[in-house]
Amino acid sequence: MSETPRVRVDDISKHFEGETGPVRALDGVSFDVADGEFVCLVGPSGCGKTTLFRIIAGLEAATSGAVYLDGERVEGPGPDLGLVFQEYHLFPWRTVADNVGFGLERQDVPASEREQRVDDLIEMVGLSGFGDTYPRDLSGGMKQRVALARALAVDPGLLLMDEPFGAVDAQTKKMLQSELLDIWSETGKTILFVTHDVEEAVKLADRVVVMGKNPGHIHEIVDVDIERPRSRSDDAFGTYYQRILDLIE
Amino acid sequence: MAVDVSEAVEEDVPSALTDVDGRRLRRGLGGVAVFLVLWGAASLTQPEYVLPSPLVVAETFYAQAASGEMAVALGHSILHWIPGAVFGTGLGIAAGIALAWSPYLDDVTSPVVRVLRPVPPLALVGFAIAWFGINHAGAAFIIAVGAFWINFYATYGGVEGVSEDLLDVARSLGIESDLELVRTVVVPASLPEITTGIRTGIGRCWMLVVASEIFGVAGIGRRILRASNNLQVDVVITYILVLSLMFLVVDVAFRALQRRALVWR
Repeated sequence: MSETPRVRVDDISKHFEGETGPVRALDGVSFDVADGEFVCLVGPSGCGKTTLFRIIAGLEAATSGAVYLDGERVEGPGPDLGLVFQEYHLFPWRTVADNVGFGLERQDVPASEREQRVDDLIEMVGLSGFGDTYPRDLSGGMKQRVALARALAVDPGLLLMDEPFGAVDAQTKKMLQSELLDIWSETGKTILFVTHDVEEAVKLADRVVVMGKNPGHIHEIVDVDIERPRSRSDDAFGTYYQRILDLIE
Repeated sequence: MAVDVSEAVEEDVPSALTDVDGRRLRRGLGGVAVFLVLWGAASLTQPEYVLPSPLVVAETFYAQAASGEMAVALGHSILHWIPGAVFGTGLGIAAGIALAWSPYLDDVTSPVVRVLRPVPPLALVGFAIAWFGINHAGAAFIIAVGAFWINFYATYGGVEGVSEDLLDVARSLGIESDLELVRTVVVPASLPEITTGIRTGIGRCWMLVVASEIFGVAGIGRRILRASNNLQVDVVITYILVLSLMFLVVDVAFRALQRRALVWR
């Protein structure tokens, strides 16, 4: 049990000066994510989910507390942390293949091996044949697949996703969710997934970290003990769903 | 299904484009014809040293081209247009990137930039003569100053507009140094603005060719100024046309380059 968790979020607080006085965005947030675990972070808007995402990603500094990845303190963004945003943030001047290969170009990988890896990733996210396409010609769902492949390319220790399916239609969202679960079981990645969609959290996560607001804090951490694939119509699903919803409201 | 749709769209686009292009061309030629007729009519009411007819200008144009005088003047102008455009553009882009990227450099240089910005290149003729002399280098200096500011501001705006999120993504994919961020994200992301600046600057450089020759350097501008003093309006118009044509050729060529560089848009 003394094994180091993949991620340790240790007593994170974030305060800043707002227009109407000091704002406590996050207060004493702590939790661990085990290796290979799928954890969802849910909460109402204004509970500091996105702030917490940015702090874990090393994009923003906490007022106090620290984030550790494999026991090492996160000081800034880097290839250990794969980021996937709601708005994709693809490099529009690069083709799908060149977006996916971006991080690999930074590494000492021979060109042929790199191309092979890019091809494999494109296939894994179901975009075979679109390697030479520019992002402007892709739908939202396809763009998010590219973003996911790009983040996975550098083999990060943690995949950090901020409402990644928040901007796509319901049908595409369902498809992307099950594809993400497939990729997760295929790669064994550790995933921390921020969402405001309780159904999504129950469908995906091993554990759901439920946050509350004023100030942003952890309400409860719920273990979702249902076999996958999970179905909305299961009784157990409904029970978890209601329980988390009640916590948030 | 998606592939089928995109192919169908690709087939449609060129034909739609040629339709539009054809219509534009017809309308444009019509406009030129009307302009020439009005010009010809107006020239009938005026002596030739005030407004020569299009035909007289055409004759003069031919004579200037045939005698080789035009090629000589153009050759001279190109010899300072090219270094002026190249140095002004290069330095303008470099300064734009550096100042938009580094708040420190921006703060340090901002007062000086604001003082220098409104100085018209023509006001720097004295410096051109003092530093470089009455030669191509002096004229190139005037042209470079004009190109510099256009490229500086275009690039500055482009770099300022680069999304912070793209930079975060790049950092999360292993980019560490500022130099690498600039190379892999900042420059490609602001390429639309940078290339628009280059294009505008190139045009401005042709305009500045006249100004840059005002203190005695040979070239098209010198030719225009000399003809003006002699009331040879047909020669003036001839060389104005040469400038316009040069601008057109370079602009069309650069636009093609720009389209290729920005296929992703």
